[in-house]
Amino acid sequence: MVKAVPGALVKCDASIKAMLINIDNENRNDFIIEELDEEHLLVKKDKVAELKSRLHEMMKQVLREPDTDESDN
Amino acid sequence: MPPKRKAPDDEDTGFESDADSALSDQDTFEQLKQTFDVAALGKKARTNHRGDAASFLFKKSDQLDTPLKPDHASRPLWIDDTGHIILESFSPIFDEAQDFLINIAEPQSRVSRMHEYLLTPHSLFAAVSVGHSSKEIIETLSRYSKTALSPSVVAFIERSTSSFGKVKIVLKKTLSYVESDDPAILQRLLQDPEIASCRADDSEGLIKEAAPKIGVMAIPGTKAAAGANQLAQGAAQYPKPAEGETLSAPDDMLAALREEDDDEEVAQVHSFQIKSEERANVIRRCRTIGLPLTEEYDFNNDEANAKLDIDLRPHAQIRYYQEKALSKMFSNSRARSGIIVLPCGAGKTLVGITAACGIKKSVIVLCNSGMSVVQWRAEFLKWSNINPEDIAVFTSDSKTRFPRDAGILISTYSMISHKQKRTHEGEKVMEFIRQREWGLMIADEVHVVPAKMFQRVTYSVASHTKLGLTATLLREDNKIEDLNFLIGPKLYEANWQELSQQGHIAKVQCAEVWCQMTPEFYQEWLKPKSSSQMKALLSIMNPKKFQACQFLIDFHEKRGDKVIVFSDNVFALKAYAIALKRYFIYGATNQPERLDILNQFQHSELVNTIFLSGVGDTSLDLPEATCLIQISSHYGSRRQEAQRLGRILRAKRRNDEGFNAFFYSLVSKDTNEMYYSSKRQAFLVDQGYSFKVITRLEGLENSPDLKLRTVQDRREWLWSVIMAKDEDLDREVLDGDMYNKLAARGKNKNKGAKRTAGTLSELSGGQDMAYIEYPKGRKETKTKGVKNAYLRKLQSGYKNQKKTRAAGI
Repeated sequence: MVKAVPGALVKCDASIKAMLINIDNENRNDFIIEELDEEHLLVKKDKVAELKSRLHEMMKQVLREPDTDESDN
Repeated sequence: MPPKRKAPDDEDTGFESDADSALSDQDTFEQLKQTFDVAALGKKARTNHRGDAASFLFKKSDQLDTPLKPDHASRPLWIDDTGHIILESFSPIFDEAQDFLINIAEPQSRVSRMHEYLLTPHSLFAAVSVGHSSKEIIETLSRYSKTALSPSVVAFIERSTSSFGKVKIVLKKTLSYVESDDPAILQRLLQDPEIASCRADDSEGLIKEAAPKIGVMAIPGTKAAAGANQLAQGAAQYPKPAEGETLSAPDDMLAALREEDDDEEVAQVHSFQIKSEERANVIRRCRTIGLPLTEEYDFNNDEANAKLDIDLRPHAQIRYYQEKALSKMFSNSRARSGIIVLPCGAGKTLVGITAACGIKKSVIVLCNSGMSVVQWRAEFLKWSNINPEDIAVFTSDSKTRFPRDAGILISTYSMISHKQKRTHEGEKVMEFIRQREWGLMIADEVHVVPAKMFQRVTYSVASHTKLGLTATLLREDNKIEDLNFLIGPKLYEANWQELSQQGHIAKVQCAEVWCQMTPEFYQEWLKPKSSSQMKALLSIMNPKKFQACQFLIDFHEKRGDKVIVFSDNVFALKAYAIALKRYFIYGATNQPERLDILNQFQHSELVNTIFLSGVGDTSLDLPEATCLIQISSHYGSRRQEAQRLGRILRAKRRNDEGFNAFFYSLVSKDTNEMYYSSKRQAFLVDQGYSFKVITRLEGLENSPDLKLRTVQDRREWLWSVIMAKDEDLDREVLDGDMYNKLAARGKNKNKGAKRTAGTLSELSGGQDMAYIEYPKGRKETKTKGVKNAYLRKLQSGYKNQKKTRAAGI
């Protein structure tokens, strides 16, 4: 029996892809259908919005944004 | 029920009148405060300010309602109430304005069109110490300013200049005197019990004498030197303003200067003597009561210390900015302590040597590594006619002394400030250093020295003048202020862009190359269990970065460039260098091997690229290098970035037509490196450099024999990183870089020995700690045999007897 899942193609940097995979792993592989190559992923279409918000959160956590003020570290 | 209802009318009025009087009291207090407090004065002026929609962006520095002068277009600068000065660098009188501003304010940022300066108490202190009066500063500033000076700025200048630099501490015939133009200030100092107790002469009055004339000191190596020497003899002659000022000053300013000189010629100075050993205390005390002492050295009249036979060789030509810097140091024919800031490769060493030739007394030079000791010695021999015998070197390898009364001693900070027991020989040299009086102390790369260490150095070396040399007067911990007290104010800071335009230092193209992380590496990076050091190493070892590095090396080697690759992390350094089959130098590389590699790099056609760890950051003189690639760095250290850039500023080929040096910083995308790299660049951007961002290197994919192309290779590469030991992750700790060594020590508190406060009595059982012997220990010692020599001998004799007896039977 063939099972069809609607998917969305995600094109991103390698590092963002790594983040997406990480999110996927932490959530019972609920997002990604197939890893295509270094910069392309196929994800479930109905999960795109959630994936986006999770990615934003993760980026906020992981990366320090370069700030412009003069304060020292 | 509220009490207000109960209150009768008359009481009510009484209350009101009470309130009235209280209010008026408050009013007078406010008024008094406002008349005497400058900040409040500024605030009061502010309340009447008219603002517009953009005012909030400028906060206190909004000068919207200050009217422009009618001829504002021809005036080059703005000053706001907080002391910030914005200078237009395209103005026709930019040069003279800059010459003036550099004296009185600290350069903050010098980008191509606009320069920003800041008036600080220290900078004004420095201005007074090179002979500017507050009246002159205010007049000149208002002449250059597009708007009228605000009263708070004027008050700030007056206040700062009135308290600073009025009192000097001078060494005359090896005795210390406190000197001032104004006897009232000296009397005020003597009121202070602590200073009074340090006074050496018992007499009530002050010593009075004529003030020395300004500007007769000629810097050796300049054309005016010969003429000025004659001038020094003829007292009746008109005093000559300092060299740098005559070059650019307009006539009216010159006239103003001459007037100033005349004023000071008739002035008299007053002084009282203090005990030499209390000198440091007096300086400290004066600082706390708000009358800091300026240190000056009247070396011409110092007969107690032997003269050193040293002069610049005729081929040594002093560049104009070096001359300007030195004229600050030697104005009014005395030497004054301070710091000179010149970019790397702009001839700091020559400034130091020229200062030594000017003072002509014993000189002690302190550098931060053994390698630069060797370089300083070579430079002294190259630029001056000093007898090689007279240069002594004091390092862990060689300890020599100079045979005559005067000479030059070159050493490192750590040798002098060493606290543990020294070797006999080392102790003898230290004694030799302590017992002498030094005319000049040159502190090279002064920004790396922690304040405490420097303090120890200054106490063990009695020097008349201290000259600090550095390219980057900044530190991430903002302890740079301490140097103001330990050495002196900043005397001069050069403009990097100006020097590179004139070809004194190389033009540099700066680029930041963004390298994507490969998925495998980034997944590892994302894992919450990876430590921050591991993350750093992963971003350094990023295969894409490696490829970019390989590509850039190949590209520049083909162009005929000599390439240096910097990595702070030794593990990555080795991995890169071995994979690319290039030489590398790090802390553990021994001296002969280092010299050999550096030699090959400079002279051999075959060695065009070397990998350097943190050892190469400072004081490494490699004029051949023309391209620099940075693969890892020390967090957000602006100083390191600037020092590394300095390695290629002295490029030999800089005067070739269209020559550019290249500075690449390789950054792994989406990691902390991005954040740090923007911080690191701040200093260079303020010096007018701009960084290009390269997101893709053209032709990288097509280049032949690119390493780490296959997934298999990358996995192996990643594996080697994950297997790296803990100590490989850390930054290398270097002997020469004392500041970072201390910092590193502080960070790794948990590793190695732990330090706790305690008393000696605690250790010997004075507290509740008791000595207990456990049987296990006793058993061990027993089995090891008898300790006492006599008993052992007895026993062995007994055994031998047994043996011989057994043999006999």
